[in-house]
Amino acid sequence: MTGKRVAVVGAGMTRFVRRAQETGKELAWEAARAALDSCELTLGDVDAVCLGTAPDAFDGVHMKGEYLSDGCGALGKPFIRTYVGGGSGVFVGIQGWYSVASGMFDVALVVAEEKMSSCQPHPQGAFLTIFDNVLERPLEPNLLWIFALEMNRYMHAYGLDKRDIAAVAVKNKRNAADHPAALLGQADITVEDVLASETLAWPVQRLDVSPISDGAVAVVLASEDVAAKITDQPVWIQGVGWNLDTAYWTNRDLVYPEYVENAARMAYAMAGVTEPRKQIHVAEPYDPFDYKELHHLEGLQLFDRGKAPEASRDGVLNRDGDLPSCPSGGLLGVGNPIAAAGLMKIAELFWQLRGEAGARQVPGTPERGVAQAWGDLMQVGTVVVMGTEPPDGVGGAPPRGGRSAPSARSARLRAPAPADPASLPVIQTPPLAAGGRPLSEAGFRSAVGAVEHAVDARYAWDTGVAISTYLRGLQSGRILARECDECERVLVPPRMFCERCFRPTDRWTDVSQTGTVQTFSICHVSWDMHPLDMPELPAVIAIDGTDGGLLHKLGRISPDDVEVGLAVEAVWKPGAERTGSILDIAYFRPRGEP
Amino acid sequence: MLDKLTDPALVRRWGGEIPVRHRYTPGLAGEAFFTALRDRGVLLGSRCEACEYIYVPCRLFCERCFAELTADTEVGPGGTLESFAIGYVDVEGEPLDEPVTVGLVMPDGADAVLFHFIVEQGEEPLEIGMRVEVVLRPPGERTASILDIVGFQPAAG
Repeated sequence: MTGKRVAVVGAGMTRFVRRAQETGKELAWEAARAALDSCELTLGDVDAVCLGTAPDAFDGVHMKGEYLSDGCGALGKPFIRTYVGGGSGVFVGIQGWYSVASGMFDVALVVAEEKMSSCQPHPQGAFLTIFDNVLERPLEPNLLWIFALEMNRYMHAYGLDKRDIAAVAVKNKRNAADHPAALLGQADITVEDVLASETLAWPVQRLDVSPISDGAVAVVLASEDVAAKITDQPVWIQGVGWNLDTAYWTNRDLVYPEYVENAARMAYAMAGVTEPRKQIHVAEPYDPFDYKELHHLEGLQLFDRGKAPEASRDGVLNRDGDLPSCPSGGLLGVGNPIAAAGLMKIAELFWQLRGEAGARQVPGTPERGVAQAWGDLMQVGTVVVMGTEPPDGVGGAPPRGGRSAPSARSARLRAPAPADPASLPVIQTPPLAAGGRPLSEAGFRSAVGAVEHAVDARYAWDTGVAISTYLRGLQSGRILARECDECERVLVPPRMFCERCFRPTDRWTDVSQTGTVQTFSICHVSWDMHPLDMPELPAVIAIDGTDGGLLHKLGRISPDDVEVGLAVEAVWKPGAERTGSILDIAYFRPRGEP
Repeated sequence: MLDKLTDPALVRRWGGEIPVRHRYTPGLAGEAFFTALRDRGVLLGSRCEACEYIYVPCRLFCERCFAELTADTEVGPGGTLESFAIGYVDVEGEPLDEPVTVGLVMPDGADAVLFHFIVEQGEEPLEIGMRVEVVLRPPGERTASILDIVGFQPAAG
């Protein structure tokens, strides 16, 4: 690596609340101001601003990056918004890192904000178009399906006990009881409480899931040239990594997050971490669902595949365990304002590695930690390794440019670094902003000046070359796939190019109408979280003779009888009722049944 | 290479929408602005002492220096027309029954403009720089909305 070494020198956050009284701009400002105050910098010291925030449809503001820019302190400064779904919160830290590492900027203010409470009737609605518009949305999918399907596959592959997974939710909600910003901290919660909570989409239960939240977090990044002028305890970004899996989620390995492994290996290589299990002292893996923390700990190479649940059961992941995981309380306990929750993990490592985490402080003197988030349609991994020592192997001064006027800087940054770091100001400001004022449901409904609006936009999606043909095949009662001669895969859903070989696929082929259940869920709620009269049985079905799978529903089977590995066959609508739709397959049923 | 479809009838289109609506609450500063507008019929702004700048509507923070602000300054009701435009078609491009005039008005005492309707125009043509004044709905009809302001009209005299 060449370029500047980059340190985190300040952090701040609002409370995470179910619904905040502040606007998104106001939340962003509260967190950004707290972060600057924590290291006694002013907005004039900031050279560039990076924002991470998830879909515009949450806040209900198109061009949300521009909308939030003033609250992020971006007026008149180089500003960029990054978005990789749930991975955004850690990725914006990476964005800030390369803004500074490039030598372009000495000080970058990194902000993440989410205000999900504006979205009615349920923020899940903002996610519905992440499913394939033509092949999956007609099945009326619920966002919970993909998590339930992945969790079931993970549990099945290793024969896991739900109790060991539920223990993660217990740990995090207990840890969060010590976090002043937490929404769902609960010191006395037990595994029994999690197992007794409402089943949403089996195996996912209410307390396996992190809560919808509003909130904001900010960190201040500084180059090696100025970090020593700002603090005597910089926390260095030692490595960064990010990686993406295939866009066809039904074609993915749902048991193991290879994209997290790839991102982690990239970050570890840069950080000089060769034995992560010895060299990582504290972890903040992404935990929107309890099983995800375990999944990600394995992807981060901190446990063997399938072995993280044992560690959870044995207390290894507890704050006083051998590898404290989510000592903050994580998304399950502190809350999940999407991008803000990811950046909160970087802020937590900053506080933990400085010994400033108060009641949440892990024992000993941790020297290195890893923060990770995950997102898009559950396919992106974003990883940051942070430590008390600056990374090796960096140096050299790339050309300079793009700086804001030095005259705006406070005197501290214009002066040389003090010979005695003890002469730096003692930081007294608590990092927690006053913001994140809870607004009750009644207060929300009666708020002075509130406005309701529905975007009147409808879409007409062209089905494209491959899917048009696929749909015509379905209308005639056939499942069509494309073959790629180079990787010798048979692709379902079909595509005209192979995303692996990046060349045109070669020919159409008629494939079997039978398959195998890769994973399934028993879903009891609609996308807007209303109870269903009859549970649905979504499943990922691997089509025999292909390398692909598709999302559909199971029928003519009791939920109790479904299992991973079940052999199934397509049940077609009568020919006259078919319209060239994924719904021309009515459902899949156990093979050979009358 | 890729197959080509030559028959347009074979092109399938699939309709859909994103089924969400939003409820926006106006935040700390916004609540102060709309409460004052509804209850007292005044336009509230925020003064940043360091930047010597008065925002309207009022704000929680100064975007220039990041200072915390309060809703401490009344501006208007008179102001200056900074720009205006006349719309003849609706959002679908269809002709409006009556053209609509919108303008940017800098209320007296403020450094920022408000975007609103220009109403009650007389015989004189609108000119950038002319004096205007706020027209409010009657007190009993206000709902704490930006529409509690009917618009701005050319100032008398």
